[in-house]
Amino acid sequence: MAIQFERVSHQYVGMDQKGYLAIEDIRLNIRGDGELIALIGETGSGKSTLVQHMNALLQPTQGRMNIFGIKVDNLTKKRKDVKLTPIRKQVGLVFQFPEYQLFEETVEKDIMFGPKNFGASEEEAKEKAREIINVVGLDESYLSRSPFNLSGGEKKRASIAGILAMEPDVLILDEPTSGLDPLGRNALLEVFNRIHEELNKTVIIITHDMNTVYEYAKRVLVMREGTLVYDGDPLKLFSKKNIDRWNLDKPEVLALAQDIENKFDIHFDKPPRNKTMLKNALKEALK
Amino acid sequence: MNPMIEMKNLSFAYTKDNLVVDDVNLTINKGEWVTILGHNGSGKSTLSKLMIGLLRAKTGTIKIDGLTLSEETVYDIRKKVGIVFQNPDNQFVGVTVRDDIAFGLENLQIPRETMLEKIDKYARKVNMQEFMNKEPQQLSGGQKQRVAIAGILAMETDVIIFDEATAMLDPKGRKNIYEYMKELNREGVTIITITHDMKEAVDADRIIVLKDGRILKNDTAQNILKDQETLEQSNLELLLPLDVLYSLEKENVNHDALKEYLWQSSLKG
Repeated sequence: MAIQFERVSHQYVGMDQKGYLAIEDIRLNIRGDGELIALIGETGSGKSTLVQHMNALLQPTQGRMNIFGIKVDNLTKKRKDVKLTPIRKQVGLVFQFPEYQLFEETVEKDIMFGPKNFGASEEEAKEKAREIINVVGLDESYLSRSPFNLSGGEKKRASIAGILAMEPDVLILDEPTSGLDPLGRNALLEVFNRIHEELNKTVIIITHDMNTVYEYAKRVLVMREGTLVYDGDPLKLFSKKNIDRWNLDKPEVLALAQDIENKFDIHFDKPPRNKTMLKNALKEALK
Repeated sequence: MNPMIEMKNLSFAYTKDNLVVDDVNLTINKGEWVTILGHNGSGKSTLSKLMIGLLRAKTGTIKIDGLTLSEETVYDIRKKVGIVFQNPDNQFVGVTVRDDIAFGLENLQIPRETMLEKIDKYARKVNMQEFMNKEPQQLSGGQKQRVAIAGILAMETDVIIFDEATAMLDPKGRKNIYEYMKELNREGVTIITITHDMKEAVDADRIIVLKDGRILKNDTAQNILKDQETLEQSNLELLLPLDVLYSLEKENVNHDALKEYLWQSSLKG
């Protein structure tokens, strides 16, 4: 098991000294061998707090974590013998609007920053940048460009490349596609799918887009008011009658497919997961 | 028709030779709901920043409610036009939620009691009334965004620009804000939304499609929504039911009831 939560809670303390329990009694196991997980839930439900525990940016105020063999609890920070640096390399976290964190003159230097920070030589870091830029769907000509003259989608890719260059086993992305046009969004989702399938890395995506969850995720986690209320198969989740209670939308493809089945004499053997599958299934059914 | 916003021969460039907004001529009428669509980098956000004087046009003029935008008028114009951006972290200026909503109002020099009433009213509109004393670091991205929206609503401007303002919200929060936009529009507020989501464009009176800084299309929502060629040129997608409908037509599938149902579903967004 790559990341293990054992009854983890986290309490923030504000200026008024009042505590605020952001996540509560979380039990969760994440494998390191190529899962694609979606993490969903209302704003303020604890999603960002949860993932910041996965690379020990935050430590539990109660309970404990095991991250690639390193135990993390509320005392970890005080102990000098526990080094959290390896965790930061193994679990890469891409924040919301990562493009605001680009700061070097060129894309290449931005990508090299991480590996160099973890001890790679100039040449190794350069080599890494050349390799990674293709993975995120940009060509090598981008390496010499200034990050500030890129489009929104290109900036996002460049900043994700910077995290990937550290070769994390688990890659966590907090709303990676917000603000992108549909073409840019789909291209980026394909990049994540490739990282998951070809590089065999575990990818965790925080999103509000149920279509993304339904089409790509093999496993979905639902947070609600700081607790983990669902951990399992996306189709089963969206087929539940009471998902309204969790304020989740049904994915459009699923909703339309179910509507068509209810209104017309059409039946799909397997629920279509994306629009291409829906179109093909319909054509097949109406032949 | 009374024009609310009039843009004439408007151009803007960040660098010398690359026009981000290229000779835009556009009039938006009082009480209208206009949606601006376009690919990333098409100039949508730049256009909205020009409208409130956050950027200065290279050439051309902007009139808001008859008032020509200039250095002298920019503060009067911001009393007429409010804007909400996508990223809440660039917008949160207060120490607490209450302070943040109050920020714009304080500049308007209105009586304290009226101010408190407005803060309370708009915190409720975005469902943040229980978070009044919270600090920004205690809030999630979506909660901060709702506070940013309340701050602009509280200014009660004649025009509100929502620049992908709901992209960070969960489905329920999104619907909530969207319903409120409709309510404001019914009350006569001019609404301009910038989005990539076609479902949020169906209720617009008019859709402007930008491409490479120029107006590619300026037409009714119905006409744009079914215009596959224009949408494809702008990296946008057809509404799902319409997309399915077109693919059935391409294959000459005969099922009129299903086709009619798909068409009707598209109009609902």
